[in-house]
Amino acid sequence: MSIQDTVIRAAGLTKSFGDVLAADGVTFSVGRGEVLGLLGPNGAGKTTVVKMLTTLIPIDDGTATVAGFDVTSEPESVRRVIGLAGQAAAVDEKLTARENLELFSRLHKLPRQRRRSRIDELLGRFDMASFADRPASTYSGGQRRRLDIVAALVADPLALFLDEPTTGLDPRSRAEVWDSIRALAATGTAILLTTQYLDEADQLADQILVIDRGQTVAGGTPDRLKADVGRDVLEVHVSTDADLARARELVAALPGASVDLNRRQLDVPISSGAAQSLDLLRRLQDTGVTIDDFQLRRPTLDDVFLALTGSSTTPVEEIQQ
Amino acid sequence: MTNAAQQHVPPAAPSFGDRSRWAFQDTATMLWRDMIRTARQPEMLVFAVVMGVFFLVLFNYVFGGAIGAGAGVDYLQFLVPGVFVITALQGAQQTSMGFAADLAEGVTDRFRSLPMSQVAVIAGRTIADAARNLIGLILVALLALVMGYRFDSAFGAVAAIVLTTVIGFSFSWLGAAIAAKVRQPDMVGMLSMFWLFPLMLASTAFTPAESMPGWLQPFATYQPISVAADAVRGLSEGSPDRTDLTLALFWTIGLLAVFVPLSVRLYRNVD
Ligand SMILES: Nc1ncnc2c1ncn2[C@@H]1O[C@H](COP(=O)(O)OP(=O)(O)OP(=O)(O)O)[C@@H](O)[C@H]1O
Ligand SMILES: [Mg+2]
Repeated sequence: MSIQDTVIRAAGLTKSFGDVLAADGVTFSVGRGEVLGLLGPNGAGKTTVVKMLTTLIPIDDGTATVAGFDVTSEPESVRRVIGLAGQAAAVDEKLTARENLELFSRLHKLPRQRRRSRIDELLGRFDMASFADRPASTYSGGQRRRLDIVAALVADPLALFLDEPTTGLDPRSRAEVWDSIRALAATGTAILLTTQYLDEADQLADQILVIDRGQTVAGGTPDRLKADVGRDVLEVHVSTDADLARARELVAALPGASVDLNRRQLDVPISSGAAQSLDLLRRLQDTGVTIDDFQLRRPTLDDVFLALTGSSTTPVEEIQQ
Repeated sequence: MTNAAQQHVPPAAPSFGDRSRWAFQDTATMLWRDMIRTARQPEMLVFAVVMGVFFLVLFNYVFGGAIGAGAGVDYLQFLVPGVFVITALQGAQQTSMGFAADLAEGVTDRFRSLPMSQVAVIAGRTIADAARNLIGLILVALLALVMGYRFDSAFGAVAAIVLTTVIGFSFSWLGAAIAAKVRQPDMVGMLSMFWLFPLMLASTAFTPAESMPGWLQPFATYQPISVAADAVRGLSEGSPDRTDLTLALFWTIGLLAVFVPLSVRLYRNVD
């Protein structure tokens, strides 16, 4: 990617709230038509990063530019080229969708002739006609969310910031939002998307940045992240706690194996496919373990995430201590 | 598929001229928004007069005899300009609560990310509240006329109502600053009890300063509500007092000079 193609650039973004270091040296860039997925659990600092880049909160340390404008020294120029759909819907509840879009396009100084056609186009494209003329206070969560995202698009932003755009949506609406995001990226919009859903980042993002407690934990393409964790995983569910104890002894020696006590589940990374899996299952049976269920699965971003940020799943080594 | 974003060229930084234009344009847009909202909740207009009507009727018919006799004046003539000022203050309190509700609603988060004049977000509201106030004041004046109040002249009536609206406008910015600082709508409502009522009752809106205890008189004479009430009274009665008018203007400009920039700063400074 050439320099000119970079739309969003963050270098060493740092922000603390009192004792909490919400973002610590977060660095990335997003090019034209590219989607960057900012992935992290609750409190990771995703919203904080979005707010700094969209001029809502000052940056403590580091620099950020959008379309070449410095976020700190040229906030007004930045606001002219960005669209933001924050984590909480930011629309006027008393106004209809059409009126909301009219309001925001006026504030964006869109010429009168363009406002009408732009709003009609957006309402049509996002299938909002059926509720466009009711006050937003009457909308379902998904409808309000859609309006919020569309409101970020009225002025054709060069850079679009979507903070957990599909949280609270049903699978169908979620798929629709995904389609819209892909379509926007295809028109050249640079998109920064935050999410807690790993499949969402996997589906949409060209680049993923995993953050946790303000720190960057990993970054790269979805494929690369998955390759880092690598191997397929054999997931085995056993019947009783006694079974689990026996199984644990058996897999203790295997690298990367983990045990989930609550779900009575073993996760064992497999390097040589079917043969190794069958062998392991057979040995479990020989030890007298009753297997309820098993599956061999590709590593998901969940596994990446688990491996990188730690999780509720307890590694075998820790249990033994 | 369009290539809108690809053709999109970043605009140059907004100039001083752009910004000044934005301030007017965006304030007009915010007023347009307020009009739609008001049309959907016409009961908001009732709040604009309820306090004035309440004080007018209560003080005139319940306490009127006692206070009027004690001060040796026609109490209704004394009371009405005071009630005007109270009506305008009620409007400022509405600004406070309305703006706090706005901030709680989340739409203001979007305003802060838009290329718009930030003062317009508050100016739209204070101007809309001033317009509501003006309507409320006219209604209160009509009721006062029915009750037997007499303005010195039509000009005096207009001047009194305009001055009251302007004073109310400056207090609206104080209300907006409180809302931007405190945020929670119910908390803002409570707080206005603390600044509004003492100022209102220890003022010459309802009783002449001479009838108050000596230690209170200096405060009760020069505090903004008293000054406003005295100035409005002068205009209504056709005997405007230079000192009162100057002081009222001084308070108005002072309130605006402090609270316009302060309210914008407080509004911007949130996480
Ligand atoms: N205004 C604030 N005052 C104090 N602490 C804050 C403030 N805003 C954020 N934080 C803290 O900063 C950290 C990061 O918060 P942030 O909202 O960025 O997380 P997030 O990744 O968006 O989480 P979520 O997925 O829950 O939305 C958290 O520990 C949070 O409590
Ligand atoms: Mg968040």
